[in-house]
Amino acid sequence: METATAIRVEGLSKRFGDLEALAPLDLQVEAGEVLGYLGPNGAGKTTTIRLLLGLLRPTSGRAEIFGLDAQRDTVAAHQRLAYVAGETSLWPSLTGMETLHLLGRVQGRVDGPYRGELIERFKLDPSKKVRSYSKGNRQKLGLIAGLVSRADLLLLDEPTSGLDPLMEREFRRCVAEAKAAGQTVFLSSHILSEVEALCDRVAILRGGHLVEVGTLADLRHLSALQVEATFTQPPPDLSVVPGVSDIEVDGNRVRLRVHGPVEPLLERLTAVGVTQLLSREPSLEELFLAQYGAEPTTRTQEVTPSDR
Amino acid sequence: MTVETIPVRHPVPAARFLGLAPVGVVARRLWRGALLWGGVFALMVWALVSQFAKEYPTAADRAQLVATMGADAGSQAIFGPAHHLDTVAGYTAYHVVGILGLVVAVWGLLAATRLLRGEEQAGRWELLLAGQTTRRRAAAGAIAGLGIGLLVLWTVTAAAAVAIGRGADPPFSARASLFMAIAAVAATAMFMAVGALCSQLAATRRHAAALAAGLFGAAYLLRAVAASGTSLRWLRWASPLGWVDELRPLTDSRPLALLPILGTTVVLATLAVVLAGRRDLGASLLPTSDTAAPRTRLLASPLGLAWRLGRGTALGWLAGLGAGGLILGLSTKTMQDVWANQSGGVFARLGGASGGATYLGLVFLIITLLVGMAAAGQVAATREEEAEGYLDHLLARPVARLSWLAGRLAVAVAVLAGAGVLTGLLTWVGATSTGADVRLTTVLAAGVNVIPAGIFVLGIGTLLHGLAPRLATPVAYGLVAWSFLVEIVGAALGASRWLLDTSLLHHLARAPAAPVRWDSAAILVAIGLVAAVIGAIAFARRDLKGA
Repeated sequence: METATAIRVEGLSKRFGDLEALAPLDLQVEAGEVLGYLGPNGAGKTTTIRLLLGLLRPTSGRAEIFGLDAQRDTVAAHQRLAYVAGETSLWPSLTGMETLHLLGRVQGRVDGPYRGELIERFKLDPSKKVRSYSKGNRQKLGLIAGLVSRADLLLLDEPTSGLDPLMEREFRRCVAEAKAAGQTVFLSSHILSEVEALCDRVAILRGGHLVEVGTLADLRHLSALQVEATFTQPPPDLSVVPGVSDIEVDGNRVRLRVHGPVEPLLERLTAVGVTQLLSREPSLEELFLAQYGAEPTTRTQEVTPSDR
Repeated sequence: MTVETIPVRHPVPAARFLGLAPVGVVARRLWRGALLWGGVFALMVWALVSQFAKEYPTAADRAQLVATMGADAGSQAIFGPAHHLDTVAGYTAYHVVGILGLVVAVWGLLAATRLLRGEEQAGRWELLLAGQTTRRRAAAGAIAGLGIGLLVLWTVTAAAAVAIGRGADPPFSARASLFMAIAAVAATAMFMAVGALCSQLAATRRHAAALAAGLFGAAYLLRAVAASGTSLRWLRWASPLGWVDELRPLTDSRPLALLPILGTTVVLATLAVVLAGRRDLGASLLPTSDTAAPRTRLLASPLGLAWRLGRGTALGWLAGLGAGGLILGLSTKTMQDVWANQSGGVFARLGGASGGATYLGLVFLIITLLVGMAAAGQVAATREEEAEGYLDHLLARPVARLSWLAGRLAVAVAVLAGAGVLTGLLTWVGATSTGADVRLTTVLAAGVNVIPAGIFVLGIGTLLHGLAPRLATPVAYGLVAWSFLVEIVGAALGASRWLLDTSLLHHLARAPAAPVRWDSAAILVAIGLVAAVIGAIAFARRDLKGA
């Protein structure tokens, strides 16, 4: 039974003792979509993914992968997905090639030529034992093992940790290829440039709560636009203009932020002599910091779900 | 996952203290075990001293004890030579040094490999060596940490021996008690040093532990062979465990025998430090290859993987148990002859079983203990797959938890069954090749009789794996150690029925000295299976848990 929804999450939550690792979460990822799942360490990203994989049991709620229950139809659901962990620990006594062979056979489907290609592109020596790989090389191995399945859904949990910039670029190409091939990608990350470059939609998690979800354009629309204006004379009082905040005056120049519609500000500005007007959309980093910057650090302890 | 276990709890500000970090790290991780085993020593001394007079009140009783246990060449081969068994001193020293001392030595070698090679393999040495210290100094520090653990063990044992020994009849002098405590931990000291050295030789904790355990097994077998016949008695000087026996604490102390013990410990520890300075971090001195041609025949399913990963350990156990059975079997004839020339209580006590069969009963008691350890090792390996995060890669793919666990258990049961049958067979080969009069079916049945013990431990371990995974490994090993202590010491002391019943070994017949009790063996297997099924169901429903 084909369904256009790759991931459907309803009221999914997880508590570890007193700690609410994930507050009831509702989220939907359409097939073919690339979703960036953002949040600082300990926000609940890994917990979400491990719940989706059925490695953790939810406190409440449910999750479906292509319409298959993540907890009850685990094996069937896993036939449609591939998972790459952020900290790949693999059997130290097996070689890279043996690991790829094993995981491919267990997965049930492998694109053989693609595997050879990825080994080349990621510059991995598969004859070495996992024990002797660096962290980055182990991460590459985990990535290749996940990607070669060409699964309908890729669940990637901080997949580029430990990779150098060249390999990171190669990873981005792989995700772009996956997207072009119609695969769905759920990319958990805190590398904002990566998410900005790859994702159609972004979900932001904070302290176990989903605080924002939408396209980057949506999120930018919700947040402040940065405006810098230079006047021919000392600037007028702009603080009464609706939506304007954070005004900094520096001689004839003014730097400010504006939330919501910009028309009132533009009207006010055109009424006086403006010689130069610069405006800039916030980067994802600014959006992200706006979400977290003001937050007092209540969660001092990092919690990884596997520790509980 | 490694962050939470950074061993330095308080950052040490001054660089000059960084060299001392390994001492503290190792000592801190060792002291609980040292206290625990010190407590076991203390309990044992107390039990032996307080029970001896009650159990053997008259001179006749004590003469009987010497005539049976003291003259029993079989138990001397298995548990070491006994001196002055008719005194509370001799009786105490025999059990504390010769039996418990060896169990604690195994703990010592496992702890040493875990804290040296295990920590290094887990990458935690990198944190230490990032400080201003050298590999050599760090290794010396770690070994000093082991020394502190040993000191804790000795202090508890010595304090208990002095306090309890004063109340013995006749009392032990404080000096004799202190010397007995030294004798009790002497084997532990040597095999901690062996563990430290093996940690330099092998690249993984498992290899290092196997190597050290192999050396311990060889020393044990040498001692057993030395005790089995007068012509071979000189061999006891070839075994480090023979030196410990020669200390003869409480009865006729021989401090001179400390010289080879001390010398060996110091030489091995020094060698470990020197070798640590000469190798790279994470590297080993025994050749290991970082590259290999892929061998993928088995790597097609979780079951194949379980066999591939467990094969080395399994073959090691089979080879070790088989060789042990063969060598101990070889001395069956000698035992038979020793008994045949004796008159007295032995035959009456054992209901007419031949001396050879009685001796083999003790051999198979030890083999049961080892098969139990092998089963606990299988529990530990299964838990490790999950704790290290390897299992995630399988379970994130189309693999059901139950089929993965079933595969692991199938491999474990096959190994345990193979070990039982092979040991039975090789023990018979050893016994008959020297002309002992034992039947193949009897010895083979004794071999099969050890399998239920392994399955029981495996089942209880699997139950814990499902319900409280972090307890699975310690409980499985603890169950085996407890059973052995209760069986050996509890039985000698006439402990309560209830206490004896807590020993797994108590529910198995001591075949081939006694006929196999198939009904209680079947009950053990059934309990093990039910426990495993409950554990498997619980495992399928719980969260995966890291280390």
